[in-house]
Amino acid sequence: MKPHHISAVCALILTSALTAAVAQQQINSGQMTNSLAGVSNTQLSLSGAQMRQAALDNIRDYPGAIPPHPLSFPQMANLAQFVVEVDFDFNSAVIKPSSYRTVGAIADALHNPILLSYGFLVIGHTDSVGGRAYNIGLSQRRAEAIRDALIDPFGVNPGVLEAVGLGEEQLRDPAHPTSGVNRRVQLVNVGKKYCFGRSGEQFLCQ
Amino acid sequence: MKRIVFLLALSFLVVGVGAATAQTMSYADAISQLADACKSDLAKYCKGVPLGPRLKACFNANQAMMSPQCQQTRAMVYASIARRAAAQRDIGDICSADINRLCGTSHADAHLVECLVSVSPVAMSPACNQAFNDTGWRTERARQ
Repeated sequence: MKPHHISAVCALILTSALTAAVAQQQINSGQMTNSLAGVSNTQLSLSGAQMRQAALDNIRDYPGAIPPHPLSFPQMANLAQFVVEVDFDFNSAVIKPSSYRTVGAIADALHNPILLSYGFLVIGHTDSVGGRAYNIGLSQRRAEAIRDALIDPFGVNPGVLEAVGLGEEQLRDPAHPTSGVNRRVQLVNVGKKYCFGRSGEQFLCQ
Repeated sequence: MKRIVFLLALSFLVVGVGAATAQTMSYADAISQLADACKSDLAKYCKGVPLGPRLKACFNANQAMMSPQCQQTRAMVYASIARRAAAQRDIGDICSADINRLCGTSHADAHLVECLVSVSPVAMSPACNQAFNDTGWRTERARQ
């Protein structure tokens, strides 16, 4: 290979590395806080277990290699939410060190006093590679891995987090089901979880 | 020459640790410093170990083998994270007198922080001001 070929290859690698770095930097805890705080006074009357069941029902009711009918939760449409990409080891629930910053930024946002006292769903989504039922399990374990890291080391109150895996049942780009944009983590503000008494004591909202 | 470079690097790290005890970092900055400084050590000794208590245990089990830079950064990062989390948890207690005096409320909620952000640091008791700095909420407020 001639030297200028090598430099062309280097430039290409540099460009993609740079793009990755920029993408990482775009995760801003302040933006995330604002997106998660734009909240109506609604409470989501849908549990994580119900969502998981709905995802499994979707596989039973609409069989196929790729979901012919996307799962939808109209109750969630008006809730404040934010979508981030977190990279995991292949076929594993281990968060890659390159995504540690993203998880830290989620922790920065969830610790913001504006979001104090709210409950959050941590929803994991996969692309269409792999079986649909398997992907529900994988995304569940990935959502739990993020929840666990938010709790320790980042000290987020475990009582405000619920992890749910929806597999590939809600593809973000159904026209390109294997595309990376489908692999994502969705944070949803599900409404007030903790209320405060007159002397500042904390209790579960009714 | 190698020795000088090493000493220089070491003094840099010591200064870094000193600065970290004066101020906590955001969780994002803290954990990405760990990921950067320990990149090769993580790949070598803790591959497949999830971020969380097990990663901490992996660091402890393998620290003798890890680079000095990784070890220093890791100590600083975990100290910063723990200190910020403690401040965010305990601010209501540490600042209760200040909150009563300056904000006229005892609720540890968003309004309280709006109030503390608006108060001049010199009006706060030193302990409350330090704890409030440690929460990082002034800088987070500016990011919104």
